[in-house]
Amino acid sequence: MPDVKEEKAKPFDPFEPFREMRDAYLDAMSKTMVEAVNSESYAQASGAMLDWSLTASGPFREAMEKSMLQAMQQLSLPSRQEIAALAERFTNLELRVDDMDAKLDRVLNLLVQMRSSPPAEQTESHERPAGIPG
Amino acid sequence: MQLAAARQCASGEDATDTDIESTPLVEQIAALEERMRAFSRIVSSKAPIAQTPKTLVWALNKTKLYRYAPNPEAPHRHRVPLLLVFALMNRPYILDLRPGHSFVEFMVGRGYDVYLLDWGSPGIEDKHLKFDDYALEYLPRAIRKLKQISGSEQFSMLGWCIGAILTTIYAAMRPDDGLRNLLLLTAPLDFSNREGLTFARWTDEKYFDVEKVLAAFGNMPGEMIDYGARALKPVENYIGNYCKLWDNLDNPRAVEAWQAMNTWVTDNIPIAGAAYRQLIVDLYRNNALMRGELRICNQLVDVGRIRANLLTVIAEGDHITPPCQSETVVEKVSSQDKQTYRVPGGHIGIMAGSSAHRTTWPHIEEWLAARSD
Repeated sequence: MPDVKEEKAKPFDPFEPFREMRDAYLDAMSKTMVEAVNSESYAQASGAMLDWSLTASGPFREAMEKSMLQAMQQLSLPSRQEIAALAERFTNLELRVDDMDAKLDRVLNLLVQMRSSPPAEQTESHERPAGIPG
Repeated sequence: MQLAAARQCASGEDATDTDIESTPLVEQIAALEERMRAFSRIVSSKAPIAQTPKTLVWALNKTKLYRYAPNPEAPHRHRVPLLLVFALMNRPYILDLRPGHSFVEFMVGRGYDVYLLDWGSPGIEDKHLKFDDYALEYLPRAIRKLKQISGSEQFSMLGWCIGAILTTIYAAMRPDDGLRNLLLLTAPLDFSNREGLTFARWTDEKYFDVEKVLAAFGNMPGEMIDYGARALKPVENYIGNYCKLWDNLDNPRAVEAWQAMNTWVTDNIPIAGAAYRQLIVDLYRNNALMRGELRICNQLVDVGRIRANLLTVIAEGDHITPPCQSETVVEKVSSQDKQTYRVPGGHIGIMAGSSAHRTTWPHIEEWLAARSD
C-alpha cells in the first residue's frame, strides 16, 4: 500500500523514459557543436552574417534616426544626441564635485592633524579657514 | 475539457468510477500541465538576489560603490578592507547571489569590511569610456572613498574577469596607492595562445569589423555579448540548461539555485564602445598588456611594477577565460608573495557554483586572512 502511495505521489513526467537517451544525444550534440563553433568556418560565417545584417539595416537605421530627429525638432523636444551631451555634462559636473569632496577631505584631515599635534608644533595661525566646519 | 476535469480531480473533489476525471491518464495530464506552468513561471520570473545589507557610499556617473554592513557576530574584524571589482558587461551581484550562497555574505561573516564596485549600465553618452577611465579615473576615486570610510590606507582588491584586467592595470600604474593584496579571478590577461581562444578567432580582424558594430550601436549591446558567451557552448546553454531545470522541478533548492543564476545570466548590460574596442583590438588581437605595449592615459602599462601580494585563481574548466590566459601574469609581476590556485570548475561556477563555499571561498579567505591585519 505505501508503495502504491509513493508511486502515486511521484509526479508524472512523460520525458522520464527518454531521459537517458536525451542526455546521450545532448552530450554528442554538445561535442559536435563545440567543435563547430571553434572552427574558422564558423568564425567566418558568423562574421559575414553580422556584417550583412549591419549593412542591410544601416540605411533603415539612418532613415529612422533622421526622421526621429526631425520629429523631435518639430515637437520642440531634445534629440538623443542632445540628451547624451547633457548627460556628459552632468558627469563632468560630478567629477568636479568629487574633486572638491577629495580636497575637502584633505583639508579636514589636515585640521584634525593640526588639532591633535602638540601646541608647540602648531603654526602661529590657528584660525579655521572660512566655510570649513570645526 | 479534460484538463479542467483533471484539475478538479487533482484538487481532491469526488469523482465517480466511471468519470473520465478519475483515470490516471487525466491525472497525469493535469500534473504535466502544472509542471509546465511551474517551468514557465520560473523561467520568466526573477529571483530575489543581492540581499546582503549594504549602503551606497559613493557614486559617479553610473558607477556606484557599496559598503556591506559589518557582521557583529564575526569572530574577528580584519583591518584591511576588501574591494570587489567585477566585469563591465555583467551585473556584480553574482558575488552576492542569494542568502547562504553569497561570497559577500561569506566574507562579511568572516569579519571583512567589504566594498563592491558596480560599474552600472553605460548609456550612449558613455560610449567614449575606455579602460583608461575605468582604471585610472573611476577606480582611484572609489578607492579614495573606501580609504576615507574604512580609515585604512591599505586595502585588498579582488578583480574578476574584465574586472581583473582593470585591477591589474590599476595595480601596475598605481603601485604606491596602498594596494596590499591583489586577487585575480579567471583573469583574461594573456592573449598569446590564439588557437586556444574561441573569442580571439571570432573577433579576428578578417571576420569581425569592430568599428562597424560600434558605429551602428555606440556601445556593444549586452544581447550580443550574451549571445557570444552562450554560443561557446550552445547545446548546454540553449537546451541543457532548461533540461536541468525540468529534471529538478520537484527539488525546491535546485529550482531556487537555477532561478537565481538564470536571473543573473539574463540580466545583461552593454559594454562602453571605446572599452570594447580596447578589449578586442589591444587585447584579443594584439595581446598588448602582456607584451608591455598597452597604453593607458598615454603611459605604458608594465605589469612588472605590481608589488602587491598576488593570488591568481584559475578555473580549470573555464571556456570563457581558459587557464592559459591567467597563468603567465604570476611570472611577470614583482610581488614577493604570489600564488596560483587552481579550482575545478567553470568561469562562473568557481565562485557561484554549489561547491564554491567549500572550495574557492575558504581558500581565498584563508589567503586573505593571513594578509589583512
